[in-house]
Amino acid sequence: MALLEVHNLSIAYRTKRGLLQAVDNVSFSLEQGRSLGLVGESGCGKTTIGMALMGLLPRNGRVTGGGITLAGRDLLALTRQQWRELRWREIAMIFQAAMNALNPVQRVGEQIAEAILTHNPQMPRAQALSQVEGLYQLVGLPLERLRDYPHQYSGGMKQRAVIAMALACNPKVIVADEPTTALDVIVQDQILQETKSLQKEFNIGIIFISHDISIVAEVCHHIGIMYAGQMVETGSVAEVFSQARHPYTRALLGSFPALGGARRRLSPIAGEPPRLIGQLPGCRFCARCPVSGHSCKLEPPQWRQFSDSHFVLCDHCE
Amino acid sequence: MTTNSEPITTAAAPPRRSPWRDRLAENWHIFSRNPLGLAGLILLSIFAAMALLSFVPPMIDPMYHPMTGVDPLVLHSVGPSARHWLGTDFMGRDILSQLLAGTRVAFMVGVSAAFMSIVLGVSIGMVAGYAGGIVDTLLMRLAEIIMVLPTLLVVLMLSALFGKLDIWTIVLLIALFRWPGVSRVIRAQTLSLKSRPFIDAARVAGASHTRIVFRHIMPNVLPLAFLYMTFRVTAAIIIEAALAFLGFGDPSTVSWGMMLQWVWKTGHMFQAPYWLFPPGLCISLLTLSFYLLGRAMDEVLDPRLREENGTV
Amino acid sequence: MDQTLSPAPILELRGISKHYRSRGRSGRGGGQDVVALDQISLDFRPAEIFGLVGESGSGKTTCGRLIVGLEKADQGEMVLQGRSYGTLKGQALRDYRRQVQIIFQDPYQSLNPQISILDSVAEPLVTNRIGDGKSRLEKVLATLKAVGLAPPEDYAYRFPHQLSGGQRQRVAIARAMILGPKVLVADEPTSMLDASYSAQIFDILLEVRQRLDTTIILITHSLAAARYLCDRIAVIYRGHLMEVGPAETIISNPRHPYTQALIDATPKFGDCASLPRYGTLVSPERPASGAAGCAFFRRCGLAHLARCARQAPELRPLTPGHLVACHYSEESPDPETGATCRLGGMS
Repeated sequence: MALLEVHNLSIAYRTKRGLLQAVDNVSFSLEQGRSLGLVGESGCGKTTIGMALMGLLPRNGRVTGGGITLAGRDLLALTRQQWRELRWREIAMIFQAAMNALNPVQRVGEQIAEAILTHNPQMPRAQALSQVEGLYQLVGLPLERLRDYPHQYSGGMKQRAVIAMALACNPKVIVADEPTTALDVIVQDQILQETKSLQKEFNIGIIFISHDISIVAEVCHHIGIMYAGQMVETGSVAEVFSQARHPYTRALLGSFPALGGARRRLSPIAGEPPRLIGQLPGCRFCARCPVSGHSCKLEPPQWRQFSDSHFVLCDHCE
Repeated sequence: MTTNSEPITTAAAPPRRSPWRDRLAENWHIFSRNPLGLAGLILLSIFAAMALLSFVPPMIDPMYHPMTGVDPLVLHSVGPSARHWLGTDFMGRDILSQLLAGTRVAFMVGVSAAFMSIVLGVSIGMVAGYAGGIVDTLLMRLAEIIMVLPTLLVVLMLSALFGKLDIWTIVLLIALFRWPGVSRVIRAQTLSLKSRPFIDAARVAGASHTRIVFRHIMPNVLPLAFLYMTFRVTAAIIIEAALAFLGFGDPSTVSWGMMLQWVWKTGHMFQAPYWLFPPGLCISLLTLSFYLLGRAMDEVLDPRLREENGTV
Repeated sequence: MDQTLSPAPILELRGISKHYRSRGRSGRGGGQDVVALDQISLDFRPAEIFGLVGESGSGKTTCGRLIVGLEKADQGEMVLQGRSYGTLKGQALRDYRRQVQIIFQDPYQSLNPQISILDSVAEPLVTNRIGDGKSRLEKVLATLKAVGLAPPEDYAYRFPHQLSGGQRQRVAIARAMILGPKVLVADEPTSMLDASYSAQIFDILLEVRQRLDTTIILITHSLAAARYLCDRIAVIYRGHLMEVGPAETIISNPRHPYTQALIDATPKFGDCASLPRYGTLVSPERPASGAAGCAFFRRCGLAHLARCARQAPELRPLTPGHLVACHYSEESPDPETGATCRLGGMS
């Protein structure tokens, strides 16, 4: 039994222009101590999945099908009170905008202690504070910065503080939504290495959401490629990178400039992703796909299996 | 090169359809969900209809002329009747036709004073914000000096000095005293716009300062300016009414404030509710309707409501 | 490409310096000057794509803004086709500015939300009084088509909020290219875009260079993007040039410890996932060395206290066309066993 299991999850938003099917029939699972990268362009539904995993969907968003179980518990059936107990303790999140995740008028150390105390009300304050010191050492923040305010931190330090906060209650799963997007490469690299080693040390499951396939390649064991609300290819990092099957995955890999290897032409994906409002019969990548056939437009593609872990949602891939 | 000839499939808005219409439709959509705004709009249309109808009574019979028409059969103020739906004043003038004429004056005063103060405020605010430095400091100190002057008191003193002021002078004075608030807001907006890359882009494109201010910044502050205009209308109507009530209005116009002054001066304050209440109510309701409209527009302009629902 | 035989540069920066006065927060004492650029000298050749690579705060954006005249240098001189920018006035200045255009990082911010695509792209024509309404419209439509917005009539009458990020960035390129500039500064043109869009933008830039012989100065934080697009690269750190040279040389044989650190930090996948690391960073950072030393001293693993803290290294040629600002550039560790991958692109 996997630690986190998402099966046939569908999520829709009510919008002025109609029901927007942001996530459509997405399934994946995450084992203890493994990491799964969800990769896709903006609007593909990856952040929505992250929000659903945390029970933080915006008010106009609703799960319209499927389920999420964490260690056997059905997350969709939780009441607000139950969510409050579970969130941060079992499943924590590292937000996209680390800059805004910290309260500007409270000392960083105290904020983290506060988070611990909220979830362990009977813990003495001094113990919480000493726990924060431990967390600072873990994520590589100097202890003398405990009493600083967020604005005195650099971008990378803030990101580390947010990671410390996510680790504060020893969660089983961490959802990291573009945790390094705003950072410089060198700091990003340090954070990624840090994340990797912390994950190993604490045996945490990580859902790593990113638009950057190269970052995910650094950190994750498994990858799920998302396009227009659907998972289109999932497999181990090695499988997806060296034997990509789905035309979108190939196109995505082909549009990233690499640091090594022959200087090959990038192949941009022409066109734009479809709007997710209304009926979308057939394959969603069809309009931009180099190998699509006649049937692609009309009938939804079927999953094909290439190995124990490698699945592709495409009828025309070999 | 593949990108050159690639067909771009977009399901976005069909081409050539005026985006202004789209935007207007979208704004109306947000606005129409606001019950207070709708109430304001309905009230306002009633008043607008009243202002238009003010031309009708004098055409029916000269005795319904709001200023000079006197009913020969009436010698003092009488209550509502079939002949005078809202009664007459102490000279036998029809209150309904006065009320209608007052609506017209209120609109005229409110809208023109507000418009002038907005034009002043927007220009000064944009110039101050864009130019910065000494120009900014001087203009903003001037704005602060004017802002702390009590408008009503100064206008009262001026009219005491120069005798009776005519209605356009009053409008002008209100405008001159009411721009600073607007200009501060527009200046702040301009400051934030000034550092946006599209202004840099305009500079690189070779646009002059004047062009940047009026072509690139102004369209972005106009919505805010219109919002402030609705609030300024309210202020202008109240100031004019207060002036007229205190006896410093233009004696040749029939405004609601003037009507109230006549009620008070002739001692009918507690004798003729049919005369006292209509102008009083109208002042409150018209300012209220502009205020409600402004609040609703405020919401329409709120970027948080404007965002595409459902960021994925 | 022959790097030794350099044609006359189209644009030269000679000893450009720029300082910002930070407004020192209350209680922290007086304001201290922040060095944005320190004695930068670079030359840009006709029709080359030149990468200016650095992290945020390195001064690379300031450099781009100086080139297009949005900022003024405190010191130094800019020379476009033999004419110094500082001496120009009036019409000559306007002519200079026409030759040098820029596209900005954020396509959501660089187009005026209240102005239609047509008017935005036509703006440079209007302000420079070129053509009349009809010829401008034709020119705009042709330019939109050239950046891949086809059919152009579909886009010209829209407003920025109706376009995707990739489409907006194309509009921004169209606006910059409509005057046919000699030099185009592209300031992180893809960092706000998804991968599929950024590859499109890269292709358009390549095409612009090919078709119009425009010199493109690509400002970027990504060595991978710079490698893909650029002929030459300059690596900049805190306002100082660290290394300048042909793109392939910089990537496959970096001689400055900072360049090496950047290469270490760039996420790798596919062919080069298993590259060895240079490991040139020290952690934690050293205390500052004082103004005289090397700009990279605080983070440099190779630095010698005696020399690097006291004396800033000069940018000097290691091989013709490959300049490095490091006292120990000859001794920097060579790429190790993984050299095959790095050198793969050299041929």
